[in-house]
Amino acid sequence: MKRPIEKLVTGFSWLCTIMLLGAVFSITGFLFAKGYSSLDTRLIFGDTGILDALLLKKQVFNGLFPAIAGTLVLVVMSVAWAIPVGIATGIYLAEYAGDRVRGLFNLFFDILAGIPSIVIGLFGFAFSVFLHKNVSKAIQPCLLISSIALAFLVLPYLIRTTQVALDGLPEDTRLGALALGATKMQNIFYVLLPKSLSGIMSGVILAIGRCAEDTAVIMLTGVVATAGIPGSLLSSYEALPFYIYYISSQYTTPEELLTGYGASIILLAMCVVLFSAAFFIKKRLTYMAFYRA
Amino acid sequence: MNNNHIENTKIRVTDLTFSYRGRRILNGMNENFEEFAVTAIVGPSGVGKSTLLMTLNRLWENIPRAQLSGRVEMKLGGRLMDIHDSSISPSHLRKLVGTVFQKPNPLPMSIFRNVAFPFKLSGEKDKKLIDRKVEEALRKAYLWDEVKDRLNHSAFALSGGQQQRLCIARSLVLEPEVLLLDEPTSSLDGKAAEVIEELILHLRERTTILAVSHYLDQVKRIADRVVRFSEEKEIM
Repeated sequence: MKRPIEKLVTGFSWLCTIMLLGAVFSITGFLFAKGYSSLDTRLIFGDTGILDALLLKKQVFNGLFPAIAGTLVLVVMSVAWAIPVGIATGIYLAEYAGDRVRGLFNLFFDILAGIPSIVIGLFGFAFSVFLHKNVSKAIQPCLLISSIALAFLVLPYLIRTTQVALDGLPEDTRLGALALGATKMQNIFYVLLPKSLSGIMSGVILAIGRCAEDTAVIMLTGVVATAGIPGSLLSSYEALPFYIYYISSQYTTPEELLTGYGASIILLAMCVVLFSAAFFIKKRLTYMAFYRA
Repeated sequence: MNNNHIENTKIRVTDLTFSYRGRRILNGMNENFEEFAVTAIVGPSGVGKSTLLMTLNRLWENIPRAQLSGRVEMKLGGRLMDIHDSSISPSHLRKLVGTVFQKPNPLPMSIFRNVAFPFKLSGEKDKKLIDRKVEEALRKAYLWDEVKDRLNHSAFALSGGQQQRLCIARSLVLEPEVLLLDEPTSSLDGKAAEVIEELILHLRERTTILAVSHYLDQVKRIADRVVRFSEEKEIM
């Protein structure tokens, strides 16, 4: 029979879980209730034909298509910068760094993780000004600068999840391939990384979510209200989080605000698609690592 | 020490001292291990039996803050050589000295790839040779009949006893001169342990075997010689 204190702790845990689930359902339910009516092809493509917009034959001026495309490119670019650097650093800290170096770097990355995103945005802005003055007048706040700044924002997640995943491997796994004559590098790539893939991919999923939702960084590094589909990495661009912020603070009619709710639903759907893609890749890679012939 | 004794020696340990995080685990150990014999290493937990094995294949070098002094010589190519000599790389040594751990540790790949893994490390490309050697190793480990129809399945799908025999097969595939067994049957049931004991007795004809064991009955069945570690970490 459970003691009263155990009952209390169990009950409190249940209550917290139910409250959190309730909050998630309330928020998504509210968004759907508010934004459902604005969800149509006009919200995305405006007055432009769908095919013309998708084939980039015509610009979309009064729809969310450029913001969706901008968000997608931004997330993919940011994660593409962050993944190799984050995983490589995590490997270094887990497998090569001495205790003192590891402690120092961990402190540094914890501080980086705690820096408010607006500060990273400001750093990105200052960096673009520096490049504009010293490298090329063509460089200004743009997609490239935003993606690099966002990569900095998510690096601590990737580094820490890689390090923790590798650190968590048992000693017999760690020594198995070495005992067969593998070098340290072979051991990392053939055994340790495949074994810790699941943990590492969780970090990637977290990074995708953070890149898709962050507004503060991109506000200072290249996002604008109207830019169309970005023509190059050095172009300004539109993004859904900024559109939601912009429309909810500047709307002039209730209908305009409703498009903000519609954009939120699209952003949520994009996150679901990106998470699903990352989850599929995680499953596929894990399968390949464990079951390859 | 007479000449006959040296001729039969496969491994000679002189003044071997090993410390980990400042704690001395082996203290000036001196011992000879005979060729083509099963030497059982027995003693209470925590006195350095497994540590001794790790000094013989240089796996200790992967343990942070571990220190070793003294000399470990092994008969390679007919003469005793210091295994820490710069001419012997740890990777090369570990291909000559197979190790099987207490807990089965299959690699995250198929049954076939697990056993063929040492060939991958050495860059061997001859597929026919690899196929033949993998089959031989699996037969030696009494596992072939159980896995021959599912070589491409994950090694993690095997039972504990099968996984341990797979690990033994993987250690045998390069035909090592020395086999280090660290309580290889401790996580297995009686029947699986019997199979591995039979395998050890069979391998003795062409391999020098050092086996850590906690089971005195097992030691009586398989060992030609017993090295006993005491609480004081001295060899009796």
